[in-house]
Amino acid sequence: MNLPGGIDTFALSLWLLRVAFLGALYLFLLSVARLLLRDLRSVSATAPGELGRLVVISSFAGGPPAGASYALDAVTTIGRDVNNTISVDDPFLSADHAVLTFRGRSWYLEDRGSTNGTYLNGAPVVGLAPLGFGDEVQAGQLRVRLDRPRPPRSA
Amino acid sequence: MNLRRRAAATRTGGAPHDLVAPRIGRSVLQVALALGLAYLLIGGTLTYWQVVRADALTLDPANPLVQAARQSTLPGRILDSRDTVLAKSVRLANGTVVRQYLADPSLGPLLGYRSAQFGTAGLEAAENGVLIGLSGQSEADLLLRKLQFQLYRPQDVVLGIDMRLQKDAEQLMGNRRGAVVAIDPSTGQILALVSSPGFDPNQVASPATGAAAFGHLSTDPASPLLDRATQGLFVPGSVFKLVTSIAGLGSGAITAQTTYPDQPAEEKTGFLVDGYRVIDGHHPFTDGTALDYTQALEVSCNIYFAHVGLAVGGPALVQWAARLGFGAPIPFDLPTAASQVTGGGGPLGGFKDQVELANAAYGQAEVLVTPLQMALVAAAIANGGVLMRPHLVIGTRDAAGTLHPVAPAPWRTVVDPVIASTIANAMQQAVEGAWGIPFAGLGKVPGVPTAGKTGTAQLGGTGEPHSWFVGFAPVQGARIAVAVLLERAGSGATEAAPLASRVMADYLALQQGGTP
Amino acid sequence: MNAIAPSPARQLGFAVRPRLRRRELALLAIVAGALVLGRASLASTLAGHLALGDLRLLGLYLGGIAAVHVAFVLTGRRSDQILLPTVALLGGISLLVMERLPQGLVVQRFVGHDLGLAQLQVGWLLLSLALLAVLAVVVRSDNWLRLYKYSWAAAGIALLLAVFVFGRDVNGAQLDLCLGPVCGQPSEPLKVILVVFLAGYLAENRELLAGASTRLGPLRLPPLPYLAPMLAMLGIALAVVGFQHDLGSALLYFAVFLFLLYIATARVSYVALGLLLFLAGSAVLYEIYPVVRLRVDIWLNPWSDPQGAGYQTLRALYALGTGGILGTGLGAGLPSVGATPAIPVIQSDFVFAAVAEEMGLLGALAVLACYLVIAERGLRIAATAQDDFRALLAAGLTLVVVVQAAIIVGGNIKLVPLTGITLPFVSYGGSSLVANALVVGLLLALSDRGVEPPPPPRPRRRVFGPGTAEGVA
Repeated sequence: MNLPGGIDTFALSLWLLRVAFLGALYLFLLSVARLLLRDLRSVSATAPGELGRLVVISSFAGGPPAGASYALDAVTTIGRDVNNTISVDDPFLSADHAVLTFRGRSWYLEDRGSTNGTYLNGAPVVGLAPLGFGDEVQAGQLRVRLDRPRPPRSA
Repeated sequence: MNLRRRAAATRTGGAPHDLVAPRIGRSVLQVALALGLAYLLIGGTLTYWQVVRADALTLDPANPLVQAARQSTLPGRILDSRDTVLAKSVRLANGTVVRQYLADPSLGPLLGYRSAQFGTAGLEAAENGVLIGLSGQSEADLLLRKLQFQLYRPQDVVLGIDMRLQKDAEQLMGNRRGAVVAIDPSTGQILALVSSPGFDPNQVASPATGAAAFGHLSTDPASPLLDRATQGLFVPGSVFKLVTSIAGLGSGAITAQTTYPDQPAEEKTGFLVDGYRVIDGHHPFTDGTALDYTQALEVSCNIYFAHVGLAVGGPALVQWAARLGFGAPIPFDLPTAASQVTGGGGPLGGFKDQVELANAAYGQAEVLVTPLQMALVAAAIANGGVLMRPHLVIGTRDAAGTLHPVAPAPWRTVVDPVIASTIANAMQQAVEGAWGIPFAGLGKVPGVPTAGKTGTAQLGGTGEPHSWFVGFAPVQGARIAVAVLLERAGSGATEAAPLASRVMADYLALQQGGTP
Repeated sequence: MNAIAPSPARQLGFAVRPRLRRRELALLAIVAGALVLGRASLASTLAGHLALGDLRLLGLYLGGIAAVHVAFVLTGRRSDQILLPTVALLGGISLLVMERLPQGLVVQRFVGHDLGLAQLQVGWLLLSLALLAVLAVVVRSDNWLRLYKYSWAAAGIALLLAVFVFGRDVNGAQLDLCLGPVCGQPSEPLKVILVVFLAGYLAENRELLAGASTRLGPLRLPPLPYLAPMLAMLGIALAVVGFQHDLGSALLYFAVFLFLLYIATARVSYVALGLLLFLAGSAVLYEIYPVVRLRVDIWLNPWSDPQGAGYQTLRALYALGTGGILGTGLGAGLPSVGATPAIPVIQSDFVFAAVAEEMGLLGALAVLACYLVIAERGLRIAATAQDDFRALLAAGLTLVVVVQAAIIVGGNIKLVPLTGITLPFVSYGGSSLVANALVVGLLLALSDRGVEPPPPPRPRRRVFGPGTAEGVA
């Protein structure tokens, strides 16, 4: 079938199909660009900052040196297993020893059924224990203190 | 297990902070910018190939698309302005496609050839896209073509050449080497383009004779494969005084009334420029007259024009010549060589010194021109100072027989009409005036007011000079402008002028419906 | 006392919760639509009438992607939602091109069937998707990469040496290593290993590298002892690759090394020194290796030998020119004359030229934009990473993909000398697909913003004071 001007209708639809394909590629890129822009705005609105730090007070030979500190994830696990957020090769630690969680506006400490227990300011932790900045946590031979997040360093 | 012992201290926070490393975020951002720039460069290059160079690449002879066309399509014909078939393709019984030409030696340099063995050359190469039907139209047309599943749509190419005039000029040349360019000054349409010696393109295109003919042509010392009209560079001699005239009058360095009081004496003693004597003295009959511009052109006074060149100055002379097309290849359907006023490199706009400038002003020194360039100079003067874009192809004709004409277009406004008319008047005096007749009188078209200028280009050493004539007729409302060059043929007055006269006369007669 | 090892999340007291990934789903829907349109366009061109064609391979591929998406949703990780669709689009374009090219370009016998180009590519794509999904879902800690960086480096070198000894020649370059019937290019996984090593080493020593310095005339050099292991690793990689004449990989490694060094130290002088070394090295290679000289000469002037050395470069340029802005349409270009493709190795090295011809400038720019999207996502993951190792790892992984694409595309369009590496996710080939899937899988894992913290407990459930300890310290 032919349109006026000798244009084949199949050719026309094929051409439209090709243009539609290219159009779909750009629809994809456009959608991605919109998401990226939104993402950029939300990132600049809520500056990423850490929620707190753990500072090592005392340790054992071969362990992390005193004064070393760790930035904390919202969920930070401590243990001997490499899959922990903070993994320390201390024979007195259990493979999965303790977990720090930031819930709502404050930190909580939980023992994960460790052999030797977790202590908050010297007292053993049972269940979910709220934790304030400056509190001391002991797990295995590791004594750490929860510190306020460092302000973002400017370059 | 002990490997893990190192672990804790490796975390950012884990390291003591006596050494502070720069923040990673910033350098990541810089790397991102570098990547962005690299991709921008890639995108730009891609655009260059796919948009700017797309046509050239699509039509490149080595492109598989073009090579495939050789089997699948019959290229279009080449016609002259009166629909005489100059070239056509036929499919032989064995399936091969052969190009056949009107048998005429003047067509070789013009059309080139199309051969399975030797590819394409000349106009066949330049218009290959149209002839095999891969290009020649707008984006919209290309789109339409895709919609009609016509990848190749061969078209005929129509030239502004009048084959009768072309043949006439070729016969007048005889076996002399040289070139004739005839152009319609008001449109820029090329009427004849002859380079001699030429060759019959059939010899190269025919599979039977191709190899032998090509071998013969490419080793012939007369170089018939070279199109002298567009690519040959020759010393112009006095015809270049027209360019100096345009520069002098156009820049205001002289008027038509300017005289140089020292000039009559210098005819005898020579004009001393920086210790070098410009010698002339080939027109003793002007005696003690201090020539004005018109008279100086009429007798072709070298000393007068040396003065004009010095008055204009090197940079200005180069600039005015550039308006006429000097200094760069002329945009044309065929490849062209760039004419030059000076070899360049010197301090005076390229001229080494005043001596070179003075000699260049009357067409010697390092001046080199193509016959096409000189035809354009004549055409610009004939057309009131407006130079039309020269073109061979006046249109393409599609399979349905519809002609798609190429519209004439002004290329440059060289000089204002009053000055053009002053020069035209002087050129008429040169052909028809009492003093001029001995020099250019044979360029006169009988019964028609004719403007012209001869040139006799000294080449140094022994041997005859190049013989030149450029001119146009009629002086008012010119219909044809010509440039004639005969290599080493003698003086312009005796050789080129009569030939030019015949070409112009024959064209005007053909237009009246007569025969040459 | 923990006889049964519960899943990490259960151990933490909250279960894995499926999370919808709406953005990813929406983008994947567009990708699927685009690919079906492309397939229809291809089938119609080939058939001469409107047709959908054989959708089985595309269906398999889209099914694989859907499965990956579902896996991400079910495991509920809060990872990037743009990377998967972008990679899926590139892989899909790859599939379309492979379906369009002559199927006989690559044939392998597999369980009694001869599989053609597109069938093999679908297989590799699915395998890659599976690998990507597993890495993205399972990898929760980067410690195993961080801790064993020297072991990884050793493994990488061993891999290269193995190629050196047992390798098979491909077009004058020793590239392939065969394990039974399956052959692969070790240079692809090696690039990932190299990034892991560099990230680990730089993260550990970046303060020292950025701060202290040895002065050598006007140049401020890094403390040499700290740079030595890195240079050694890189030198070995480059040397072995140089012996194997795999210039593209060498260039890629070096570029990524310089980028990472700059990211870690922000010292322009290191990069300047690196570039100086690069130029000197290139000059030496140009003199020593005829291969290098040939490549550079072709790059400068492919027209000098149009039927020989310059052949493929010129053919690629013709393809670009013929494609123009809108392209010839899938299936309507001339990537093959008869059964032989117009451009040699069109399925891998020159796949970009094929894309540019049939999808035009617009399609080719869209493909380039996809790599920029990957760059943006990857570098953002790097910039917001919690620590230096993750940041350097994410940046390095991203660079490996994006720089590789730039090198080969640049070679296709005569912007830089041509080197034989693949266009990530688009070129045919298992090693390349698998290695790049590895990269994206790791990036996805790194992009995880961690387990969403559970809501604060209700006051009455709080337990204060000493409880019963199950063990004694």
